[in-house]
Amino acid sequence: MRWNRHVAVWLGVAALMGGVVAGCGDDDEGGGGGGGGAGTEETGTTEGAKVIDPKSMDGAKGEVTFCLGKDTSGDKTALTKKFNQEFKSQGLSAKMLEFSTSADEQRAQFVQRQEAKSGECDVFYSDVIWTAEFASQKWIFDMSPYVQTRESEVIPATLESVNYDGKFWGMPQQTDAAFLYFRTDQVKEPPGNWQEVYDVAGQNDGIVYQGAPYEGLTCDFLEIAFAAGGQVLNEDGTKAVIDSPENVKALQFMVDGVKDGTAARGVTTYMEEEARRYFESGKATFMRNWPYAYALGEKAPKVKGKFDVMPFPEFEGGGKAGILGGHNLVISVYSDNPGAALAYVDFLTQEEQQIIEFRDFTLAPTVASVYDNKEVKKKYPFATDLKEAVSQAKVRPVSPVYPQISQAIYKNVNEALAGRTSPEDALKKAQSEMQSALETF
Amino acid sequence: MAETATLRAGTPTRRRSRGIPERRLAWLMVAPSIVLIAIVALWPIIYAIWLSLHEYSLRQAGLSRWASPAGFGNYQDALQSSEFWEATRVTLIFTVASVGFETALGLAMAMAMHSAFKGQGLLRTVVLVPWAVLTVVTAIMWRTIVDPNLGFVNTLLGTNTVWLGEEPHALIVMIFADVWKTAPFMALLLLAGLQVIPNEIYEAARVDGATAWQRFRKITLPLLMPALLVALIFRTLDALRIFDLPKVLTNGANGTTSLSLLAQRTFQENRLYGEGATLSVLTFLIVMAVSFAYIRLVGGNIRGMTED
Repeated sequence: MRWNRHVAVWLGVAALMGGVVAGCGDDDEGGGGGGGGAGTEETGTTEGAKVIDPKSMDGAKGEVTFCLGKDTSGDKTALTKKFNQEFKSQGLSAKMLEFSTSADEQRAQFVQRQEAKSGECDVFYSDVIWTAEFASQKWIFDMSPYVQTRESEVIPATLESVNYDGKFWGMPQQTDAAFLYFRTDQVKEPPGNWQEVYDVAGQNDGIVYQGAPYEGLTCDFLEIAFAAGGQVLNEDGTKAVIDSPENVKALQFMVDGVKDGTAARGVTTYMEEEARRYFESGKATFMRNWPYAYALGEKAPKVKGKFDVMPFPEFEGGGKAGILGGHNLVISVYSDNPGAALAYVDFLTQEEQQIIEFRDFTLAPTVASVYDNKEVKKKYPFATDLKEAVSQAKVRPVSPVYPQISQAIYKNVNEALAGRTSPEDALKKAQSEMQSALETF
Repeated sequence: MAETATLRAGTPTRRRSRGIPERRLAWLMVAPSIVLIAIVALWPIIYAIWLSLHEYSLRQAGLSRWASPAGFGNYQDALQSSEFWEATRVTLIFTVASVGFETALGLAMAMAMHSAFKGQGLLRTVVLVPWAVLTVVTAIMWRTIVDPNLGFVNTLLGTNTVWLGEEPHALIVMIFADVWKTAPFMALLLLAGLQVIPNEIYEAARVDGATAWQRFRKITLPLLMPALLVALIFRTLDALRIFDLPKVLTNGANGTTSLSLLAQRTFQENRLYGEGATLSVLTFLIVMAVSFAYIRLVGGNIRGMTED
């Protein structure tokens, strides 16, 4: 009997802990989660969003808070320091608020603040895939009047990632596009199209990419699907059109590569790092990866000096494509000093700062002229390839329900790659999952 | 006699008249704890339930409505979705298998550590190492170990399997990794239980001619039962809420999406607060139900055993 009571006490404690953990997760995120209740009439538009005034940055004073992920490469710290030196006399300064290194967590931190209408973050370093969602929630300024004055300097593809509902919601600051890495000792001439890439790979040591079910696979699939002429959403983003002959063709192409052993065994579980290690151990002829793998590859004894990069080739009967990564600078509507925030954004996207980003920190700039800078070209032989890769890259579907769209892609594509379902059925399922996500309230 | 009785009866009355009555005083003294528990435990649960009865718009900032019909729309959707039942199935299989192996292995380890021998202290420390490793690190480690190209498992077993890319292999790896990590914790809890069993009982049994098996069956197991039960409940509740292991190992692919992973994805990644909260509430209810089942089943057994 006594033991029973003991157990009951423990159970109470344990159940309570369970409750706390389950509850906390919710509370953290929900933080006043849109509790406003029905009231607004217009649905799904950005009508009435605040618009930034480009003149407000002239002579702006005060302190700007820049929220971003952990500044692991140190570039933003260096540039913020430079900003503070240059604008001290004007009474303008900036400080950084660093969140976690995890992208999900950064987004969660910003979302929490915006839902609480907190003005803590004046400027936020938004991943290109979040910008539309923030805009649809009216959490960030419509920056069109400012961006239009800079339009000609910026690589056009990067501007697509801040374009939502016909307006510009941020300023692209850093961009990214993946390369095809290849072994120069096995590949004489860079192949002219994807089919050739797989042919050459099949005759040699194969290809490795990111086939695990996560955001990376969405990119890897769309790079080939877009090249084959496929699309994900219709023009105004209201309908899923992923179940198309072009996309089926692209997926079939990838599935065949896994089936006949051209793709590395286990590729369906690989993310960037596994792929990189596999390539660096000398086991693959081709690798699809981001530019970060270049410098690391140069340090890997087995492939050092034996590899090069190329932008993605075209898909037979289609064209060239790629997927745009990177970050945009967005300004919070709850900022009490948007003029100062804009001055900071303007500073970070000037050519001078963008050269520093590339030259000293290997971060791909959004200002086109930087890629032709002599110093940069000398230090990075792949600068021209990168500019080409970025220019041919396309944005991932812009939608407030992007996370669900991406899940519908990577889950089903992964199933097809693993051979558990046919490409046709996988894309049919992706289509219906996407459509119901688009129709959510 | 009568005098003392009245005196005794009179004392509390006098005491009560001097200050706050004892019962009320007791309430006052526990009040801070109750308030604290209400804030940190009760409020989030109530809030989660509140969220689960609503739908929050992804398109229009701040727009929300009751999840029709009658606020239970999210529950209806969840209970009708194959995703929820699949996650429940995966979570239950994982829980039963991992807790089962952990208990058996933990008990064996505890018995080994309990017997006195040279280097006992060292063994106890070494055994705990896997438990000290962060779950995320454990998951990354096992990812590498079972990698068909970079890991050694295929070489060791002479297989050619993509462990995390196939069903049910991915779940097996997940269970294995959890057992590897948590069996030492189980061992530690059970070791504590073993150490409070008086040695005299064993001596007496030995004198009476009980075999080792009989001693284990009739002495160790019944006397260990309270510790074992607490350990089991702890581990079961933990396993039912498993999140980090599948998140890092497979991101839920190949039959490894647990209830918590599904809830987190719905809530945090997709910002479907109502639907996500519904999944957490359902997970919470399952956890509660399993806990009560434990007390009912195993608790009854204990009573039977001790009355023997």
